[in-house]
Amino acid sequence: MWIQSTMVTYGPHAAIIETLSWVMIIGAALIFLLVMGLATLAILAPARMRGWMTGRKFIIGLGIIFPVVTLTALLTWGLSISRVLVTGEPAVLRVEVIGERWWWRVHYVDAEGAVRLVSANEIKVPTGRPIEFVLKTQDVIHSFWVPSLAGKLDMIPGRVNVTRFSAERPGIYRGQCAEYCGAQHALMAFYVIALPPDEFEAWYAREAIPPAEPVIPLLVRGKTLFLENGCGACHTIRGTSAAGLVGPDLTYVGGRRSIAAGTYPTNIGTLAGWVSSSQHLKPDNLMPSFGNLQGEELRAIAAYLESLK
Amino acid sequence: MLLWQRNGPGQMRRIVSAALFMMLAGCNDDGSAQKASQPLDELRITRVAGGEPERGRRIIAAYECGVCHVIPGVQGAHGIVGPPLTGFGRRQFIGGVVPNEPSLLVRWVQDAPSIAPHTGMPDLGLSDEEARHVAAYLYTLR
Amino acid sequence: MSDATFQGGIADTRVRQEGGPVRLPNPAPRPRGELEELKRVWEQPKGIHFISAVNNNYVGVWYVGTAFLFFVLAGILALIMRTQLAQPELRLVGHELYNQLFTMHGTIMMFLFAVPMVEALSVFLLPNMQAARDLPFPRLSAYAFWAYFFGGLAFFTSLFFGLAPNGGWFMYPPLTSYIYSPGINADFWLLGIGFIEISAIAGAIEIIVGVLKTRAPGQSLDKLPVYSWAMLVFALMVIVAFPAIIAATLLLELERAFHWPFFIAEKGGDPLLWQHLFWFFGHPEVYVIFLPAAGMVSMIVPTMAQTPLAGYRLVVLAVIGTGFLSFGLWVHHMFTTGLPQLSLSFFSAASMAVSIPTGIQVFAWIATIASGKLQNKTPTYFILGFLFIFVLGGLTGVMVAMVPFDWQAHDTYFIVAHFHYVLIGGMVFPMFAAFYYWAPTASQRPLSETLGKWAFWLIFIGVNVTFFTMHITGLMGMPRRTYTYLAEMGWGTFNLISTLGAYMIGAGVLIFLIDLAKNFRPYQGDLGNVWNAGTLEWLPSGNYQTRSIPIITSREPLWDQPSLANHVEAGRYYLPGAPTRGRETIVTSPIDARAQYVLQIPGPSWRTVFAAFFTASFFIGLTIKLYIPAFICGILAVVCVIWWLWDTDPGPAEVGDVDIGGGLRLPTYVTGSMNHSWWAMIILMMVTGMVFSCIVFSYLFLWTVNPRIWPTSAAALPSIWWPVGAGALLVASSLLVWLAGRRLSQVPERSAWLTRIALLVAIPLLIGSVALEVFGQLETGLRPSESGYGAVVYSLASYQGFVVAVLAIMGLYTVVRSLAGRLNRVRRSTFDNTQLFWHYGVAQGLVALLIVHAFPRLLG
Repeated sequence: MWIQSTMVTYGPHAAIIETLSWVMIIGAALIFLLVMGLATLAILAPARMRGWMTGRKFIIGLGIIFPVVTLTALLTWGLSISRVLVTGEPAVLRVEVIGERWWWRVHYVDAEGAVRLVSANEIKVPTGRPIEFVLKTQDVIHSFWVPSLAGKLDMIPGRVNVTRFSAERPGIYRGQCAEYCGAQHALMAFYVIALPPDEFEAWYAREAIPPAEPVIPLLVRGKTLFLENGCGACHTIRGTSAAGLVGPDLTYVGGRRSIAAGTYPTNIGTLAGWVSSSQHLKPDNLMPSFGNLQGEELRAIAAYLESLK
Repeated sequence: MLLWQRNGPGQMRRIVSAALFMMLAGCNDDGSAQKASQPLDELRITRVAGGEPERGRRIIAAYECGVCHVIPGVQGAHGIVGPPLTGFGRRQFIGGVVPNEPSLLVRWVQDAPSIAPHTGMPDLGLSDEEARHVAAYLYTLR
Repeated sequence: MSDATFQGGIADTRVRQEGGPVRLPNPAPRPRGELEELKRVWEQPKGIHFISAVNNNYVGVWYVGTAFLFFVLAGILALIMRTQLAQPELRLVGHELYNQLFTMHGTIMMFLFAVPMVEALSVFLLPNMQAARDLPFPRLSAYAFWAYFFGGLAFFTSLFFGLAPNGGWFMYPPLTSYIYSPGINADFWLLGIGFIEISAIAGAIEIIVGVLKTRAPGQSLDKLPVYSWAMLVFALMVIVAFPAIIAATLLLELERAFHWPFFIAEKGGDPLLWQHLFWFFGHPEVYVIFLPAAGMVSMIVPTMAQTPLAGYRLVVLAVIGTGFLSFGLWVHHMFTTGLPQLSLSFFSAASMAVSIPTGIQVFAWIATIASGKLQNKTPTYFILGFLFIFVLGGLTGVMVAMVPFDWQAHDTYFIVAHFHYVLIGGMVFPMFAAFYYWAPTASQRPLSETLGKWAFWLIFIGVNVTFFTMHITGLMGMPRRTYTYLAEMGWGTFNLISTLGAYMIGAGVLIFLIDLAKNFRPYQGDLGNVWNAGTLEWLPSGNYQTRSIPIITSREPLWDQPSLANHVEAGRYYLPGAPTRGRETIVTSPIDARAQYVLQIPGPSWRTVFAAFFTASFFIGLTIKLYIPAFICGILAVVCVIWWLWDTDPGPAEVGDVDIGGGLRLPTYVTGSMNHSWWAMIILMMVTGMVFSCIVFSYLFLWTVNPRIWPTSAAALPSIWWPVGAGALLVASSLLVWLAGRRLSQVPERSAWLTRIALLVAIPLLIGSVALEVFGQLETGLRPSESGYGAVVYSLASYQGFVVAVLAIMGLYTVVRSLAGRLNRVRRSTFDNTQLFWHYGVAQGLVALLIVHAFPRLLG
C-alpha cells in the first residue's frame, strides 16, 4: 500500500513538497479553527464580549492585514524552497518517456539523444542520482506523475517538457497518468524501480543484450507461435524478427513488474489472460483479444513471454 | 419426461436432491438441525488439510487469477477466459476433466496441464502450501 | 433629437437628507379603478397561454425550477459514479458510460445548473429588490429561459443514446478533436454548451441594464443592495469571460468539422491555445458562480441578525475586486503544463491574492452576526454551513495556489475535494439558504422549518463525509477522472466513505424536494415580510411588483421608513397605476437613480417561445448532422426573433408624457444614451468584441508558438490592394449609414427614401469587403485546413463574415420598419442600434485587416 502517495515520500523532490504540504495543512487547520472560533463567538458570546468584532477595524484587520501577512510569508517561503525543485545538480541519466494511449514508452537516451535502450511501463533508475525525464506524447495530453518521488508534469503534443528528480532509497514507486486521456485513463500506470547504482549498472548492461534463444520445447513453440500470430507487427523483441513499434517493447517483458501499464502483475497466468482477452480487461486499447489460440498455444506464448527476463 | 422438458435439467436436479434430502432426513436418528439442513450433494469432502481460505483469497488476489476467472469475493475478478468460479464448492468437475476433489484441486491450481494437457490454464508455479490455501478458498464458494 | 431635450423634464429625486422624511408624491387617495387597471395590465395569460408569460415573477420561478432540475439530474449522475467507485475494480458501469457521466456531471453542474441558477434567482429577485415592475427586456429573459430549457433538456438526453460527450468538462484537445473523438459526442458539448452560453450572455445583458437602469428612484449606487452589486459584477464578468468559451468552442468545432488545425501541433496549432481560452473563461466562471451567492449571503445575514451589514463599502469593493482579480488567475489551472517558472510565480501570487477580497466578505459577515442577534431559523443554518464549508474550501484553495503543492495535487481527488468545498459551500448552501429565505416572497406557505433543518444536517454532514475524505484519497495519490482503481492501491475504504456521504447528500436533497412538494405554492400571493427584513423585495406585491414605486433614502428602507409598506400599497408613491395603459416601469439614471423616463415594456408572447425552440432545434440539428432541417429551423428562429422584436420599439405612448406623481412628468420614449436598448447594444458590442479579441489572441498566440509557419515576406501574402479595397468598402458603408442617420434626423422630416437606399447600398459593400479578403487569401493558395496560420486567418474572416451577416439582417430589418412607417425622426431606436453595431462591425473589420495584412509585413 501507499506506493503512490504524496505524503509517503522517497525522494528529495517529493520530500520538499511533503514538508510544504504539512506546513500548509497545519496552517490551514489553525486558520480554519480561528475563523470558526470567531464565528462561534459572534453567535453565542454575550453582547459585551463581541463588541470588538463589529467594526471596520475587525474586518480590515482580519480580512486584509492578516491574509496579506500570512500569504506573503507563505509565498516567499514556498517560492524559495521550490527554486531547488527546478534547478538542482546535473543529471546522470536521461530517460525519454512518451505517453501513449494507454501506456508508457520508455527510452534510455545518451547525451546525444540517441536511444540506447527501449522499455515500457517500467523505469529502472539508480538511487541517489538525479535522473532527467524528457516527456513527450504520441497522441493526446498525458501527465507524468510518480507521487512518492516528485510532482507531475504534462506531456503535450508539439512540446517537450523536462523534469529532473531522484529516488533516495531502493524501492518500487508507482506512477500514474494524471491528465484524462480517454477511455482507459484509469488503467495507465507504471513503476519506477530504484536500484542501488551497481545493481542498476548490471541490469543496464544485461538489458542491452538481446534475450537468449529459448531451448525448452514449450518456449521454442511459444516463440514460434508469437511470430506466426503476427505479434511482431506491433511488438518488438530484440534478437527476433518481431520489430513492431505500435505497442510496448516486449524484449524483457517477463522481467517487468506489471503488464497492461501497471494494471496486472507479470506472471504466466496474467500474460495468458491478457493475450486471450485484452479487450475485455482494458477495452478500447489497441491490442485485439487473441481468441483464436488453442489452450496449449496460449500457454506456450505466455510461457515464452514470461521467460523473457 | 414431461416434467423434465418443462423445467429443464437444473430444476430436475433440485427436485431429485430434495427428494434424497427428505429420505436422508427421515432416516437420520441424530436429528440435529445442522446436519439435517445439508443437502446430500453438499456433503462431499471439501476441506483441504492445512488450507486457510483467507490466505487463499489473498494469494488469488496477488496472482490476479481474476484476469481469467470470475471469482466471488475477490475484487476485480471479472475474467472471461476460463470458467467462472462461482459456486465452485458445489462444482462436480474441475475444468470439466476430473472430479472435484481436494487433492486434485490442489494439483490443478499448481499445474493444470499435468491433468488436462489441452487446457489453456498454465502451470502457475504455486507452492504446495499456496495451492492448499487457494483450494481451501475455492471450496468456500457455494 | 438629443438627450438634452429631456433634461429639463427630469425632477431631482435625489434625497437631500439621508434617511430624512420623504415627501409623498401622491398623498391623496387614489382614484377608483386605478388598481384594477394595473392588475388588468399585468394579468397573466390563462390556460395554455400561461407558457407565453414573460413577467419576471413567472419566468423567474420556471427558471429556478429548471436549474434545480438539472442540479438533481447531475446529482443522480454523481451518485452512479460514487456507486461505481465504492469498491475497487467494480464493473457497475463501464469506462464508456463512466467517462460520459463525469463529463456530463461537471458540464451540467457548471453550465446547466450553477450559472443558470444564479441568473434565474436574479431574474426573480432583482426587480423586486429594486422596486422595478419587471426587468427591462422581459422577452429577452423569457427567450434566454426557453432556449436554455429546450437546449438543456436535449443536451441531457444525449446520455440515453450513448452520445453524451466524454472528453471531460474542460474538453482538452487533441483528445476531443476529430482524430481521437470521431463520434458526435464532442459536438454535443461544443454546440450545446456554446448555445447555452449565448443564453447566459443574454441573461447577463438583461441583468446589467436591469441593475443600472431600472431602480427605485433614490436608490443610488451607495444604497444599492449588495446583491445588486454582486449581480452587476457577475454580469460584467459573464460579458468578458464567456465570449472566450464561445470563441474556443467555435475554433474547436471548426477543427472537428472542417479540419482547420487550431490545436493540432503537427500542423502549427497548439493544444495549449485551448487551455488558455478555456481557463480565461473557466476560472472567472468559479467567481461568476460564487459572487451572486455571496451577494445573497450579504442580504440574508443582516436580516437573520436583524442589523445592517457591517462594512458595506468594504464588501462592495471586495465584490468588485474579486471580479477584477479573477481574470488574472487562469494559468493556475495550467501549473503542470511546463510553463516558465516566472509566470508560474506570478499566477501563484495572484491566485493567493484573490483570497483577500473573499476574506473581507467572510469577516464582514462575522462582524454583522456579532453586532446583531442571530435568529435560529433554517436560512441561518445554511448560512453557517456555507461559512464552514466555504472557508475550508478557500483554505485548500490557497494550498493549491502554491505551485509545488499543485504539482502533486493537480488532477487528483484533492482538487475534486477542494472545488466541491468551494462550489457546494460557495453556491449550493447559499442557494438553499436563499430558497428558505425568499420562498415567502413567492409562495403562500413558507417552507417547513423541521424538514429544512433535516435537509440541512443531512447535506452538511454528507458533504463533509464525502469531500473531506477526498482530500486524503487525493493525497494518497488517486487521480481524478478514473472509472476504477486497483484494490492494492488502498483507496477502497476512503472511496466507500465518500460514497456513503454522497448518498446522505442525496437524502438531504430528497427531503428538500418533499418540503417543496408539500409547501411551495407559487403564483397565489405571498406571505409578507416574515423575517422583518429591510429591503424592497419584502414590500407587499402583486404581479406588477409594488403598487407604487417608492423613493429610497437608505439601504434598508423597510427598517428606516416604518410606514413605507403602507404608503407603497396605498399608491402614495410614484407610478401608482398604468398611465400608458400598458406594462411599464421607471427607468432611472445609472449612478444616482433619478427617474428618467417611463419604459413601456412588452407583455406575454409566444414569439419568444417559438424563437427559442427553433434556435435550440437549429443547434441540435447541426449536432446530429441533420443539416437541412437545421437550416430551416435557423431561418424560422431568425423570423421569430424579428417577429418578437417588431413591437419592441413602440415610440412615444399615445398619451404622450405621463405624470407619475408629485408633479413629475416623464417622457414615455427616449433615444440615445438614456435609452435602455442603447445600453444593451453597447454591451452586445463588448461581447462581440471579446469573441473577436479571443480570435486575435489565437492569431498572436499561434504565432509565438510556431512563427515559422507565418509568411516571412510580403510575396507570400495577398497583394496589398486586396485589404485596401476591403477597407475602402468598409469605410464607405459606414459613411452611408452615417448619411442615412443624418437624413433621418433632419428637421423638418424629409422623404425616407434616401435613408432606405443608403442602408440598402451599404449592405453589399460590407459583403464585398469580406469577399475581397477571402478571395485575396485564396489567391495566394492559402487554405484553412493546411496550417494553424491558414486556419486562424480564415477564422478571422469567417467571424467578420458572421458579423456582416447579422448586420445585413439588421439593415434590412431597419429598412422594412421604415417602409412600415415604424421609423421616423422620433421613433428611431431601431435605426440607432443598427447604426451603432454597424460602426462597430466596420471597426472590427478594419482591425482584422490590419492584423492579417500589416502584422506579417511588420515582421518581414
